[in-house]
Amino acid sequence: MTALLDAPTSAAEPTAAPILQARDLTKSYPLGETTVHALRGVSLSVAAGEFVALMGPSGSGKSTLLHLLGGLDLPTSGEVELAGEVISRLSDDRATRLRRDRTGFVFQSFNLIPLLDVTENIALPFTIAGQDPSRGELAARLGDMIELVDLLGKEHHRPDQLSHGEQQRVAVARALVTGPALLFADEPTGNLDYTTGNEILDALWRSCHERGQTIVLVTHDAKAAAYADRVLVVGDGRIRDTIELGRRADHDATVLIGRLAQLGL
Amino acid sequence: MRGLHALAWRGLRARTLRSVLTMSGVALGVAVLFAGIATDAGIEASVDRTVEGLVGRADLRVAAFGEAGLSPATVEAISATPGVAVAAPAFERRTYLGLDRFGPGDALPAPVTVVGIDPSAELRLHDLTLASGAHLTRLDEPSALVGATLARSDDLVLGSELTIQGPAAPTTVRVVGILAEDDPYAGPTGRAVVMPLTTAQAAFDASGFTRVDVGIAPGTAPSVVVEALEGSLLEEPYVLSSPRELGLAMRASTGDFAATTALIAAVALFAGAFLIFNTLSMTVVERVRELGLLRAAGATRSQVASFILVQAVVIGAVGSTIGIVSGIALATGMAAWIGTVGDVALPGPVVTPEGVLAAFAMGMAVTLAAALEPARQAGRIPPVEALKSRMDLPAARRARLRWLVAVFLLVGVFGLLIWPRAAGDAGLIRALAVYAALLVVALCVPFLLPFLTRVAGLPFIPVARLEERLARASVLRDRGRAAMTVSALTVGLAMIVALGGVGQHARAAAGAWIADVVPGDVLLTSIFPRTVDEGLDDILSELPGVASISPIASFDLAIDGVRVDGAAMVGSDLASDGRFHLVSGERSAALAAIDAGGSVIVPATVAERDGLAVGDELDGTTTNGSVVVLRIVGIAERTLPGDGGEAFVVGWPDAAQLGVAGADAYAVRFAPDADAAARETLADEARSLALDPVPLGRIQGVIGAALDRVFGLFDALALVAIVVAALGIVNTLTMNVFERVREIGVLRAAGMTRRQVWRSVVVEAGVTGGIGAICGIAAGLLIGALMVVLAGGRPDVAIGVPWLSVAVALVFGIGLAMLAAAYPARLAARVSIVRAVGYE
Ligand SMILES: Nc1ncnc2c1ncn2[C@@H]1O[C@H](COP(=O)(O)OP(=O)(O)OP(=O)(O)O)[C@@H](O)[C@H]1O
Ligand SMILES: [Mg+2]
Repeated sequence: MTALLDAPTSAAEPTAAPILQARDLTKSYPLGETTVHALRGVSLSVAAGEFVALMGPSGSGKSTLLHLLGGLDLPTSGEVELAGEVISRLSDDRATRLRRDRTGFVFQSFNLIPLLDVTENIALPFTIAGQDPSRGELAARLGDMIELVDLLGKEHHRPDQLSHGEQQRVAVARALVTGPALLFADEPTGNLDYTTGNEILDALWRSCHERGQTIVLVTHDAKAAAYADRVLVVGDGRIRDTIELGRRADHDATVLIGRLAQLGL
Repeated sequence: MRGLHALAWRGLRARTLRSVLTMSGVALGVAVLFAGIATDAGIEASVDRTVEGLVGRADLRVAAFGEAGLSPATVEAISATPGVAVAAPAFERRTYLGLDRFGPGDALPAPVTVVGIDPSAELRLHDLTLASGAHLTRLDEPSALVGATLARSDDLVLGSELTIQGPAAPTTVRVVGILAEDDPYAGPTGRAVVMPLTTAQAAFDASGFTRVDVGIAPGTAPSVVVEALEGSLLEEPYVLSSPRELGLAMRASTGDFAATTALIAAVALFAGAFLIFNTLSMTVVERVRELGLLRAAGATRSQVASFILVQAVVIGAVGSTIGIVSGIALATGMAAWIGTVGDVALPGPVVTPEGVLAAFAMGMAVTLAAALEPARQAGRIPPVEALKSRMDLPAARRARLRWLVAVFLLVGVFGLLIWPRAAGDAGLIRALAVYAALLVVALCVPFLLPFLTRVAGLPFIPVARLEERLARASVLRDRGRAAMTVSALTVGLAMIVALGGVGQHARAAAGAWIADVVPGDVLLTSIFPRTVDEGLDDILSELPGVASISPIASFDLAIDGVRVDGAAMVGSDLASDGRFHLVSGERSAALAAIDAGGSVIVPATVAERDGLAVGDELDGTTTNGSVVVLRIVGIAERTLPGDGGEAFVVGWPDAAQLGVAGADAYAVRFAPDADAAARETLADEARSLALDPVPLGRIQGVIGAALDRVFGLFDALALVAIVVAALGIVNTLTMNVFERVREIGVLRAAGMTRRQVWRSVVVEAGVTGGIGAICGIAAGLLIGALMVVLAGGRPDVAIGVPWLSVAVALVFGIGLAMLAAAYPARLAARVSIVRAVGYE
């Protein structure tokens, strides 16, 4: 419970301590006679407060990797250590609780429960944990999140009464509301137009830069990846390259696009 | 088209569970229906057989009024009537065998029916097949035939001696033959002794005849003979009946049973219709894109609609066939459990081709009717639906009330077509009223849904707050579907509660009835009339602890030439006992008047039916053919139960004139300080006087037990309807889970455990069940009251809440619903997050 309320470390710059580590991850799916090797041995490390982007062509294994890192799925071999716990060694319930308390997810679309309104959707992790989000610190935190994603005045709208961009912002707010150690986002702007997409990315970046939120973002789009401190290029189930961009306020994508062009992407 | 049919097949196979559930729903509905039809046919056959057994080849039966019976002169007159080929007189009494062998403390043995026959005439009209021995030959030999049951139970063999207890000295006869069966004489106990006519009459010191069976000469119309008999039999009262009339009377006694069974079958089928509708609608929703694609590829509307209809035909045909087979098993069980319906023994169901056809047609009709709306929806899917990336809920899938009414009417009309013959018009009106009430309830459910959901969710809030919130929202997401699911459950539960209410009322009414009209705590019954000369009153009233003794006789009474039940009672005893209620007339004066003679108290039911009032005069026919004028001095709320209704109560002076030989029961009231020893003494003394002591509680208990059995069966049948409804819940929840895989994935990603997901589906089922229970109980209480009122129930006996049935409905409604959630909940808990969030 305290985990939910742990304020993120307030440092604006990434610290050295890794909060997420993957060691030699593989994932294969049996498909009839053959086997699909979605991941063929991935090792990586994400430091607390870092903003990491995963890029790569379609089918390269980005989503699969993200699912393994976030504990939504288990690797065929290898280990993921998240906030000091090795996920594959946890029971389903423990893993779920770790997910609830220490991570947040934003998917490309359909992130919301259509039955619940904006506030209820954002408060979902608290409600699932059996807490009453309508009062005290939790209520304040909810208000804070609604402000962060700029949805004041729409607290009681239902998802079908919101635009796609607004829906995604609700999803971001829900992912962040518990103050998770890690935020995972899988093409959160994939379904959005340019400006709406930027709103989401800005919200993510602010949370990282101002609050020290650690973020792992999967994207196709170099402009989105340019928000990150570091870009991992995934290809054919492996990490092909690492591009260090460093923390920059202008999100200029030219350097990144140049490097990607060198890689033939 | 062929290709489309193959697609329909694949559709059924792709969702095996759902197809199986739906077929089971149809099968259960048809099973109850067919069990009803087969049982009804069994009752019919049994009535026919009983009637045939009773009258054999006789075309008419002339039966006597009163103990004295028909005189020899009347029998002569019958034989001499033109057109009469055979006249077979018989004499009947009930008595005990070998009473001398029983000591004062022993319980009395079961009575036997002694039948005296004229062997030569009797054998021309009745087949008496012997298992062993020889037939009777003379009219006065000291020999007897015994029925198969009696021979078995009393270890009788050829040559055994029987001691027949008459009013005076016992008569001894020897068994010369054992009948292969008990019919036609055995009566309800199955214990019959057939003796030569003269020997039997002598044993009971009687000269009259109980009945004369008449065989009509070939070529003569029965109506001609009836007319001739009516012209020649003027001396004394009699009842002329034909096999047809006997059959009708017996059928009438089975009517309520048949009517209720038919009603429950209708309810089960109706619940089945909901299930089919939901299933096929789901198929449409699930396949919106596929069907849209078919339309885009050039399939016509009717082709797409036929995709759904073909599935319905398969479901209906398979379900109905299984239903008919299981219906036979169900009917066999019912027959074994019930034993007798009304006056008719029910040996087993009878399967007729018409019955099979009717049940099959009904199953198919309901299935197709339920399929029409989904099929129409399927046909209306626009081709662009195939191109939409996101599946919105099409408004068309909202179940329309119109549809509900249509299916209801269809089941109703079909019900009318196969309405059991025995049930009669009153039963029909009652069933229609109940059926209409169920429709109204089902129609109200969608409107009350938001409110009911909140109420039904309350109990879950403390244990599963989030789950309750999700479940509630989920129930309300598709109100049409929820309303259908709930309505099916509601009608089933309503039947349980309603039948519970009716049963409880019937038991209470029966108990109150007996206690009110018998002026005593114990009834001493005798199987033959006890005359005043025996002085039983005096012997019994001198026993310690006995406060009062009141003689009672039941007899047939001819009022204005019509047979009614009569009872002779002592007015002053009823007056001092204080419980006999009059609805019209002055109580003490009326009771004094019947003791004085020339007066009668009629039961309210008869007075109402025949428009009788205090002061009216009735003509009672005496045994010697003369007329006693009986003035109505009071109308009683209720009187003693007789064979065909409540009895007309007269005093003893009139009873003697009307042919009553003596009392056949004594009501004993104990003094308040009477102890157990006093009761024991009375019981012993009574047995030694060939009186059978029956505490009133036991009479009520026997009535109650009989009612329990019948209502237990009805409950079991209504439970089938609830099981059908539970299948509907499995279906609906499974569908909900499939539809919400994506949401479940999001919830799981946000940290919901498998157990929480599981719980939210179970809570959803609980809420659905709770709504069904609330509606079902409310509707059931109303319908129960309606059934009681329509059946002419007694307004003075309060229509109470049948708490047991209410509890059963609550537990079954919510419990079965949550049980039904087991599979869908497991399905939901197992949803793979990665697969769900990757779901397009
Ligand atoms: N459940 C599965 N069964 C079989 N193969 C799968 C499964 N899930 C993923 N794959 C395969 O694994 C590989 C990687 O898939 P993944 O979804 O991770 O790619 P991606 O990089 O996210 O692609 P995109 O950019 O299109 O989202 C693909 O070849 C895909 O076909
Ligand atoms: Mg992907």
